[in-house]
Amino acid sequence: MSTLTREPSDTAVRGAWRVVAEREITTRVHEKAFRYSLLAMVVGIVATVVLTSILGGRPTDYTVGVVDQQAAGVVTAASDVVDRTDDGSSAKPRTFDSVAAAEQAVRDGDVDAVLVASDDGYEVVGDDKVDSSLSAALSSVAATSALESNAQEQGVDLAELQAGATVSERLLDPDAEDSGARQLTAFVFVLLFYITAVTFGMTIAQSVVQEKESRVVEILAAAVPIRAMLWGKIAGNTVLALAQIVLLVVTGAVALAATGETELLSSIGPAAAGYVVFFVLGFVALSGLWAVAGSLASRQEDLGSTTMPGQIILFAPYLIAVTAGEGVKTIVSMAPVVSAMIMPARMAEGGVPAWQIVVALLVNVVGAALLVRFAARLYGRTLMRTERRIGFTEAMRLRD
Amino acid sequence: MLDISHLSRAYGDSLVVDDVSFTVKPGRMTGFVGANGAGKTTTMRMILGVLSPTSGEVRWDGLPISTAQRRRFGYMPEERGLYPRMKIADQLVFLARLHGLEKAEATRRAHELLDHFDLGDRAGDVLDTLSLGNQQRVQIAAALIHRPEALVLDEPFSGLDPVAVDAMAALLAKEAGDKPLLFSSHQLDLVERLCDDLVILSQGRVVAAGAVDDLRGTGPDRFRIRLETGDAAWIRDLRGIRVRDIDGPTALVDLDGTTASDLLAAVVSRGPVVEFSPVRQPLSTIFREAIR
Repeated sequence: MSTLTREPSDTAVRGAWRVVAEREITTRVHEKAFRYSLLAMVVGIVATVVLTSILGGRPTDYTVGVVDQQAAGVVTAASDVVDRTDDGSSAKPRTFDSVAAAEQAVRDGDVDAVLVASDDGYEVVGDDKVDSSLSAALSSVAATSALESNAQEQGVDLAELQAGATVSERLLDPDAEDSGARQLTAFVFVLLFYITAVTFGMTIAQSVVQEKESRVVEILAAAVPIRAMLWGKIAGNTVLALAQIVLLVVTGAVALAATGETELLSSIGPAAAGYVVFFVLGFVALSGLWAVAGSLASRQEDLGSTTMPGQIILFAPYLIAVTAGEGVKTIVSMAPVVSAMIMPARMAEGGVPAWQIVVALLVNVVGAALLVRFAARLYGRTLMRTERRIGFTEAMRLRD
Repeated sequence: MLDISHLSRAYGDSLVVDDVSFTVKPGRMTGFVGANGAGKTTTMRMILGVLSPTSGEVRWDGLPISTAQRRRFGYMPEERGLYPRMKIADQLVFLARLHGLEKAEATRRAHELLDHFDLGDRAGDVLDTLSLGNQQRVQIAAALIHRPEALVLDEPFSGLDPVAVDAMAALLAKEAGDKPLLFSSHQLDLVERLCDDLVILSQGRVVAAGAVDDLRGTGPDRFRIRLETGDAAWIRDLRGIRVRDIDGPTALVDLDGTTASDLLAAVVSRGPVVEFSPVRQPLSTIFREAIR
């Protein structure tokens, strides 16, 4: 009898990790908790984008009370100015019989302000305040028209008078215009990275310890190489985590497009793509350690302590991203694992030199490879020890 | 043919399995007995490759066993374990696919086994909701799912009631067919009834191994004699025997120089005899003597 004919399933041994990965995915997708939390995150993102859009850049239609034609002309001319400062905004005059009636309308909130002639020009009357962009627009229009009429009276050429007085604006970083929105995006990136990485990291750890606790690991280990189980778990959960991140990013993009924030969308687009790439690298780098956290534990309750290193490695960059200054962020955004969370956030804020992104990518690829190899060794040593919890340092000293 | 060759396993300084060698032949049920802590489970785990031996090796058809070959063994560990919250058909299919079966084939086989165990209508139930006896059946199904070429079962009968034991024994005999089957058990009467071969382990060492009939034969020939009336005490005076016990008209003797027919002739010549029968040594005796 030939041994060669009896050795068929080498391909089957190699494909075993796919079967493990498939189980990880289907088991998770069938869980109600998973579906609901994903739904909650999608709704949260849409709500954030829509609310920001409503509260932030909403155009305003100002109504300004006037008592004469001249003031009405100023208001009409100011409409172009407010439109320029605040996209889509306008100002229109409403004529009242008396100043008192107009002021009453301000108090009642029927008009945003009143423009009346005064001894030395015009007066803008508001209730407790006057919107600054409206006030600025009315002032500049009124000043220009006064200048024009004065110049005509004096027989002066206004254009000559103004020669050399024009101050124009040129922005070196025009994208930074919406830096508030970009910072918010960066924060949301970091938050979602943290939540997704911890959620699926814990899923890996739980999946491993469940197999130890139920002792099914003994049957699995007899059926497939232990490493195949590790690769399957890493692959399955990485696919799930990636799918979740992509879904959330796409949801955000669609929400931005739907609310007309196309400018912001195109400016953070590259950062979003980088975010997905960095997420995968960062998640894979830590995935092995999550599996080890599961294999060190002997029961679910042990996970609190065995997952501590993973939690810290994720929480530290989260803290740094939220609180640290630019210098610190620049350095840690190129350190392994940590950078996976911080670099995309910096990219969303804008102005990251390309070489720093390349360095961060390389460092992450190398870091992920080393960490997973290290984790696979610890996993192999500890998986079959089901009787009690094992410490990290103890696991390092165990023989294979 | 499965050969266990000089397997040893040490934990620190203590040798849990010490130079264990035996053979599990195709088509023969081999019983693996020994006191608690004798090293049965450790040996079985090494056979399956779940635990690596300190020294020695497992051979299959004369060659060192490969991972691919081990995947075609059926294994039932001492500590039972499947996914508690997974549907039983799903987990059987999953395990079959891990062993290399295609999905369609795995599904077919899972339902075939569940039907065999009268669990066909429970296929969609999660394991947790089954009775312990039914969980045990699923566990056996898990060991058989990939039509294994050899079976290694650690205490397959523990926790089963006598009826279930018979059903399980019949199934194993059928499934094992001409394949090697090794199973451990504490229930010596069961091992005696089912096994063709026997391996007795004590403190990590093999103290007896071979066909059950041969092992029994290694003891002295023992006979029970019952007279119709009277006291059998005079049997003590016969030569060529050793008396184990006398109780009224009944005597238990070992042949020690004479033959069975000479003994029978001598007894009958003194009066009517209602019983003269060979006493086969129960396995428990072989076992106790082996581990002494």
